[in-house]
Amino acid sequence: MIAVIARQQVQSLARQRVFLVTAGILLLMTALAGVIGWSSHDTIVRVYDQATVYLADQRLPAPPNPFDLKPSLSLLSNMVIYIPLIGALLAIVVGYLSLADDETTGIGRLIFTRPVSRSSYVAGKALAVGVVLAATMVACLVVSVAALLAVNTVAPTAAELARLGVFYALSWLYLMAFALVGMVTVLVTNRRPLALLAALGVWLVVTFALPEFTSGLHPVASLNPIVDPVSTSQAFFRVTAKARSLSVFEQYKNASAQILATAMTSETTGHVALRALPLVGAIGGLGAAAAGLVRRHDYSKGTSDV
Amino acid sequence: MSDTAILEHRHVAASAPATAGRGRRIVTMARHEYRAAWRSRVFVALTAVLSIATIASVYVAAVDYRSQLADYLLYKSAAQASGVAQVAPPPFALLTLLRGAFEYLEIIGAVIAITLGYLSVSRERVNRTLPLLRSRPLSAGEHAAGNLLGATAVIGTIVAATATVAVVCLGVIGHDWPGGVQIAKLLLAYSAPVVYMATFYCLGSIATAKAKVPATGLMVALGVWLIVVLILPQIGDTLDADNQVPGGLFAALGLGHQGEVDILANFVTYEKVRTAIEAASLEKHFERFVFAMTDIKARYRDLSLGQLLDIKRIEVIWLAVYASALGAWMRRTFNRQPTIPRGGRS
Repeated sequence: MIAVIARQQVQSLARQRVFLVTAGILLLMTALAGVIGWSSHDTIVRVYDQATVYLADQRLPAPPNPFDLKPSLSLLSNMVIYIPLIGALLAIVVGYLSLADDETTGIGRLIFTRPVSRSSYVAGKALAVGVVLAATMVACLVVSVAALLAVNTVAPTAAELARLGVFYALSWLYLMAFALVGMVTVLVTNRRPLALLAALGVWLVVTFALPEFTSGLHPVASLNPIVDPVSTSQAFFRVTAKARSLSVFEQYKNASAQILATAMTSETTGHVALRALPLVGAIGGLGAAAAGLVRRHDYSKGTSDV
Repeated sequence: MSDTAILEHRHVAASAPATAGRGRRIVTMARHEYRAAWRSRVFVALTAVLSIATIASVYVAAVDYRSQLADYLLYKSAAQASGVAQVAPPPFALLTLLRGAFEYLEIIGAVIAITLGYLSVSRERVNRTLPLLRSRPLSAGEHAAGNLLGATAVIGTIVAATATVAVVCLGVIGHDWPGGVQIAKLLLAYSAPVVYMATFYCLGSIATAKAKVPATGLMVALGVWLIVVLILPQIGDTLDADNQVPGGLFAALGLGHQGEVDILANFVTYEKVRTAIEAASLEKHFERFVFAMTDIKARYRDLSLGQLLDIKRIEVIWLAVYASALGAWMRRTFNRQPTIPRGGRS
């Protein structure tokens, strides 16, 4: 029964224009990330060459090239931003549509006239969301590999492919958390747009407010893959920094930088794995909340479209 | 009096009550919009998120500023005690502490405005007040103007409250209150979010009015918001050579402002493309204007208010163009909006 519900949901999502457009934007941005990475890298190298000539004219020593040790995967460093921006919104829309449609169309009422348990229903929905998001991540992986091949003119090594695979697996976890946020908000509100806005509010807090609170990152500055180190020596930050490990956006960004080998300092595999723990905890908590809410939800009432 | 003059006089006399009636209808719609907005829990909740984020942001910046100011005053008194006649002025600017507050207006403020636009249109559909309104002598233009005026008043209230909280935080926590010119700069800086958010209000209204299901309109408007506010500026920022290294590439290479200008002269086409990407985003014009007014960009700090306005004239024009275009589009959409709501799934 879980598989039947999941299949029906996947088919339903494949017909949703909103989902197709958002997924299309994410894939387009994945391709663009490679182009942007190549363009900025190429420009920096040329700026450095010009700077050495300029400094030599003024009889000043040339500093070392800041891009000498850049790994080839750094071309995709923008993906670390696009996944939490576009990907997370896509995940919210997927999670939201998976439950909202059943409420407003009355399908939810119909389904529970059949011998379907609430746990099978929610498991089927979660499976469908997981499959759709996994397929999107696989598509992004293929586009990323193609972009790397086109820009570097050599195929990525096995180690690089493995790193990309781990990065997209982590990204899938990140998206699953937001898809579950979208599902939970549908279950706790009685109007469709209210659910969407509530999920968006959670996303705004996680992506922009929490990093400023724990690390002093300005909202717009946190959208750049490379950020200025912020002084967090104040007493305020000494307290809030303790919550940094719970800031899933920061943990995702830092873990991704380690996986793609674009971070300034390297960490052990265990340390990187620890960064994913809050995400796994969030998924567990939200999944349990969704299951509990579906069990108690009154499907005879339905939800308003407006 | 000539015949023409008599006719003109009669025309003015006849059109005066019509104009007054039109103004009254617009104000009535605006009042309704203002009251209805504050009754929406989702709108109030989003406004609360903005307020909390603003307070937290200014608090963090003000605490840092206070400690820096205390260090500077300590240094100054020590220098004066040891006989130093002239001490350099403090290198930090008070208004820069509002950077986070303005960035939240850029991001969350735009979402609030879109929500306001969505609520405004969907409320009339769900309450079935649209056919009722159209049965009265209210044109689509008056309807759009009234809604926009009311929404601008709501936005003005939110921005004024945010500004008051921010300035009080500066004074109470940062131990420094803005003076004459700074207040004028603040007034100008805080007028930009009103125009910026009003533009996004129009976007929310248009997308919702055009959609069969209001929730789809909301998603479309949020998609446009994502591209305009987050993606386009992010691409522009990422392509900026100076943003590729922490602390700035040109600083890392040991080059001053002149060195940066000299080297970038060899990248004219690249910079043109990058600037065009940024210019396509309303958010970037808002940011450039506000950052100049609040001393966030150090190169503008020594300029007078007149010079600042002259330099940032183009950003003001862009903000006005976007607002006017979306306002006109909103009027057109309201004119074509079917009075009887259509159903359908998202």
